[in-house]
Amino acid sequence: MAVCVAVIGKDNSPKYIRCSDETAALQFHYKVHTSIDIIEEKLNTGNKMAADVRELFLGLLFSTEEHKIFGYATNTKIKFIVVLQSTNASLRDNEVRMIFRKLHSAYANAVCNPFYVPGDQIQSKGFDTAVMEIMGVS
Amino acid sequence: MRSAVSVILSSSVPDNKMSQPDYEQTAHDHAALLLLLKPIGTQTKQKTVTKIGERIIKSGSRFTVLDSTGITREILARFVREHPVENNDWSEFQTHRRLLGLITIGKYDSQTELDELCRLHETLKVKYSATLYDSRAILFGPVESENLNEPPKPFTTPSNFKTRALFYADETCPDLEAQIAECLNSLFWILESKRLERSREKVDRVPLLLAPFEKKDFIGLDLDSGTMRKRCVGRMTKHLGDLCLQAGLPADALYHYNSAANTLQAVKDWLWLGAAFEGLCAASVLVLYPNMCRSLPLQRNSSLQEGSPGKQRRESQALNTLPPSPNIEAIKAEMPQILPPEEIAKKYREAIVHYSKHKNAGVIETEASFKATRISIEQNCTLQAASFLNNVVFINLNISEHEKIERFTTLSELFTAFGFTRKASFCLRLAATRHVSQNNPNPDWQQCYNLMLQAAPGLKLSLDPVEMPSDGLRGWPTLQIQLIQELVVAAKRMGNPALATRHMTFLLQTMYDHMSPTERKESALQLQAVSQQCEGAPVPLVLDSGMVIPPANLTNIPKTKSFTLKNLQPHLQPQKIERIKEDHGPFLFTPINFGSLERKNTLKSKMDYLWVEGDICEVSMQLINPLPFELHVSNMRLLTNGIVFESIPETITLAAESGPMAVTLAGTPKEVGDLEILGFSTHTLGVKSNCRLRHMERMPHPQYSVEVVPALPKIDVSTSLPQTASFSSGENIVTSASISLYGGESAEFTVTLTNVGVIPIEMIEVSVQSALDTLTEGKIFKWSEENLKTQLPLLPGTSASFTIYLYAVADFISPVSRNDMSSGAYLSQPSSLMSQSGPSSLPSRLSSPSHHTKRQSELTSSFRSGLSSHSGHSSLASTRLSKLAVPLHASNIIEGQLKIKYSGGGGLTAGYCRISSVYVTIEMLPSVQITSWDVLPAETPTQFYLVLDVTNMTNHEMELHYTQSKCIYMEGREPCRIPVPVNRCPLNKLSSQKEISDAELEKVCSEHIASLVDLKWQLLGTETTGKATLAGITLTQDMLDLVRMSPLQWEITINDSAVKAQEELTCGLGECISVGIGVCNALERPLRDLILSINFYQDHHNGVNNYRLDTRLSTAGANKVMLPMLEEHGRAHHECRVVFFTAGQYKVDIQCSSSESTPSTPTLCSELMHAGHTWRYIPPIEITVDGC
Repeated sequence: MAVCVAVIGKDNSPKYIRCSDETAALQFHYKVHTSIDIIEEKLNTGNKMAADVRELFLGLLFSTEEHKIFGYATNTKIKFIVVLQSTNASLRDNEVRMIFRKLHSAYANAVCNPFYVPGDQIQSKGFDTAVMEIMGVS
Repeated sequence: MRSAVSVILSSSVPDNKMSQPDYEQTAHDHAALLLLLKPIGTQTKQKTVTKIGERIIKSGSRFTVLDSTGITREILARFVREHPVENNDWSEFQTHRRLLGLITIGKYDSQTELDELCRLHETLKVKYSATLYDSRAILFGPVESENLNEPPKPFTTPSNFKTRALFYADETCPDLEAQIAECLNSLFWILESKRLERSREKVDRVPLLLAPFEKKDFIGLDLDSGTMRKRCVGRMTKHLGDLCLQAGLPADALYHYNSAANTLQAVKDWLWLGAAFEGLCAASVLVLYPNMCRSLPLQRNSSLQEGSPGKQRRESQALNTLPPSPNIEAIKAEMPQILPPEEIAKKYREAIVHYSKHKNAGVIETEASFKATRISIEQNCTLQAASFLNNVVFINLNISEHEKIERFTTLSELFTAFGFTRKASFCLRLAATRHVSQNNPNPDWQQCYNLMLQAAPGLKLSLDPVEMPSDGLRGWPTLQIQLIQELVVAAKRMGNPALATRHMTFLLQTMYDHMSPTERKESALQLQAVSQQCEGAPVPLVLDSGMVIPPANLTNIPKTKSFTLKNLQPHLQPQKIERIKEDHGPFLFTPINFGSLERKNTLKSKMDYLWVEGDICEVSMQLINPLPFELHVSNMRLLTNGIVFESIPETITLAAESGPMAVTLAGTPKEVGDLEILGFSTHTLGVKSNCRLRHMERMPHPQYSVEVVPALPKIDVSTSLPQTASFSSGENIVTSASISLYGGESAEFTVTLTNVGVIPIEMIEVSVQSALDTLTEGKIFKWSEENLKTQLPLLPGTSASFTIYLYAVADFISPVSRNDMSSGAYLSQPSSLMSQSGPSSLPSRLSSPSHHTKRQSELTSSFRSGLSSHSGHSSLASTRLSKLAVPLHASNIIEGQLKIKYSGGGGLTAGYCRISSVYVTIEMLPSVQITSWDVLPAETPTQFYLVLDVTNMTNHEMELHYTQSKCIYMEGREPCRIPVPVNRCPLNKLSSQKEISDAELEKVCSEHIASLVDLKWQLLGTETTGKATLAGITLTQDMLDLVRMSPLQWEITINDSAVKAQEELTCGLGECISVGIGVCNALERPLRDLILSINFYQDHHNGVNNYRLDTRLSTAGANKVMLPMLEEHGRAHHECRVVFFTAGQYKVDIQCSSSESTPSTPTLCSELMHAGHTWRYIPPIEITVDGC
């Protein structure tokens, strides 16, 4: 399962980040942070093509010996990043897409809260639960 | 990309170490001749070397040669400063790694030095002898040499020096470029010859070329097997391709590489296949992107290794990316083997995969990755570039820490080149940590720090707190905090505590909101520890590198909750001295607001009050200590701009996590003008901070401005009266005075003004402000302004005093009681006996039990006749009055403010003053009160008696002097009645106006009475004296007839002799007496319809007058005469006779009444007007009839 899930705002600042292993949080922060570069690049090239049919799923951004980092960007430039363990070979592309779809709907639910100010950190129990589920911690 | 094969194949420990990857290599370098450019000897100056080096590189990097067939070839050359001799070992694998030329630069002053230089040069030659084709030595000597290639005269080169040396005397060396070109040319020709030699070699005779680590792999293998032969041929073909590429024949090179690749693929010679692919790519790139060279001459002070894959390339890439297709078609026709641009990266990838199968080729793989990245950047394929770079990280090279650092910095540079700033800063941070890693034998914290600093922008971390967004949403706080903490550590370790303090302060300032309470506490404590070595100050720090670290300030510790400027104390506030307004035209007010929007904004922070130069002005703040330990904040001052402001330092201690604590910062403006308050400075946790409002959160204004006016004097006011226990703290009240006065009493007190300022007082104005009307105010408060003015100017430290005279103005007339008397009492006691005269209640009052009866009875005789019969009217009138009248209280408190306006010095010139007020409370105690009054005719016609019912309202015994000689003694709270003889109001007072209404008449008479009657009272036992006036006394129509002089003058004769007032007349019983009455009209108008009547009556002295005297006397002649008209100054005479039948005392009441009033007068007060006038002869004539 996922070891780290992050939501990044359109200004590339973190809106939400959660790791399964909080002691290694910094490492994940770095990983997620550096993968923004790739997302940005992917989004830029994507703009050249027809923006309306753009695929939200950005695919594998980066892989290390331990982790695979997948990205997903909504039409409002909110980015989701999921870090999976490289050893977990069973995860296929489709499953990763499913994860993102779940994450996206959880995010949509979270920001539907009328008390949520767009651009703020996400603090929502519902979203937490969804993320925990994705990470298989629940 | 990276397969697991690498791990398997590269398990063995490498015997060879080409341990220095050339990170700067580009694909173009495959085609370049490699030369070593090296300064030798100790004398050579770095500057000279750089300058010469630049010239050589500029001229020699790219040159053309006309070959034997007449074709122009473009040859590239690469100059390096260092070339590890081990790298030469790979020269068979890739020929561009071979060092072909050597150029040394040296300087000598003596023969010994020259010898040494020659020796060094030769040593270098020996070092690279395996590959070296040619060498040059550029030697700078003290004198010019005649022959360029020979040393100048006294010097000689050693015999073993067999190099072509260039001897120069100075750095201009005009023909340097030509000499280098000549050298490069020779290199080319040697290379060309080698190439030709190789190309002519028989295919079946070629030796096996080996990469350095392969040597032992092939020991014992059959070199003659078919596979082996193919391998040899393939490798040789590839080698030939290298040579062709270097010799400026890319087309040939492409051909060779292509065939080599085919051959090698067949025999599965992966390493060399990779090299062939790479060659293919390099040749293609050389053709497709000829300009992708590093721009060398731009580098200053840098070793040649440090090329720049920098920005200019990225900028130029728009031009070079994917060259136009017709171009590539044309090239393709010429060179069929060339790779199209999109193929290059693919082939490179393949090459890298092949390299990766050999652990020992790690360096080659790394270099290939970098080269591929650079090509991808050129092609603007960022993701591809990124993936090549990512691959670099996985290559497990056994290299030193230093090289690792170099690798990371290069990675970072390349990442930056295509805009991956986050990755770049990540790599820089890694590089920084390598500088101080445990494996590093000589940790360099300085370098570590510098790299860390460079990593900051990638994390969107600006070291200027101003640029950091307050909400912190821009970057990644966790990573930023980490980096700052690492910076702190690095700065500390490199021995720069100032920097450590700075960064720590910065951390607390900008990242405060992102830290947990524990982190905050730890950071604060850490800062305290760090700052002990070097105190933080808000000044920019300049690093050795020239970088400036902007100041950071602890704006959050302590947290400022509010910041407000305070006005001066009310009595110190400068007030504008109001002057007579100059005429500024007809418009007093304009609704037009010029530039409305901006003005409003600026006005907000502009204070609408003034501060005074030289006076202490204050700002109040509320501070919160968010930290869980006691915070000591010292040296708090205000930060100002504009005029000079002397701030008074303040030191406070905030308890742990204590709530808002009020702090007042004070200071003194030293000049006149606008003062801007920008914030305040603190010194806490060992750091001096300038906390500017502009940079603080939740501050309504970025700054405040206040106008400072010139210095004004200051006074201290004291009075001789006791202070009020409590007084309403109105504006600018400095002290108070209170006094109790009985109505009509006077008092005085002294006000002392002391100049406690430093400016002499030149102007003082005193005024009184109270709720009373000006007239009353003027009666109560009196002072001499002139007296005060004479004491000016009042120098600092001196005092002036003046006296205020107080007079307790009271209303002594009580309309309420009067009302009571005239209406209520009358109705309650209908005295039918007195039907004719209809006396008011006065007589009934007399009968009220009291021990003053005697005094009262004395008066009764004179009371009776004077009472009018129109009490109904008077009661009506007084009822009206009573409605208007305010009920009197037991005591009346009058509050007034004595305003002392003063100014002096510059403030006066600028038109400002200060106002100090004394709050004066006067308690008015009632003294005497006149509850009712009436008038009675006096014994003489020129006077009348004003009868007053006076009550002593005090609890003390009182002496009341009501005439010069008369006085009565009254107990406390005791009423008594006094007759006051008053001169009648002369007609001339009234005659000034011809026709006066009765209201005016009453007023004139009332004033006449008030001016004549003064009731002086004294409280026995005390010194208290006072004066009661009768101002405001009201008079009815009937009273008025008595008060003013009668318009009729009487001439009474009895038995033809004139009667004098108070004269005793006697006659005998039965005697006939003739009474002659002459009436003279003193008015200036005629009187009509007068009835002159003569009535006899007997006064029983008990309040009863007996008019029924039919049996006691008899009159002859009319006792009532009508006078239809009495002209002005006209006279009338009437005479009658009387005979008394019984003895006794008789009185004659002679009166003249007019039924009409003045008909011409407009009837304003109709009720009063209808009343007829009755004029009596006063006093009534008394006739005593003697019995026989």
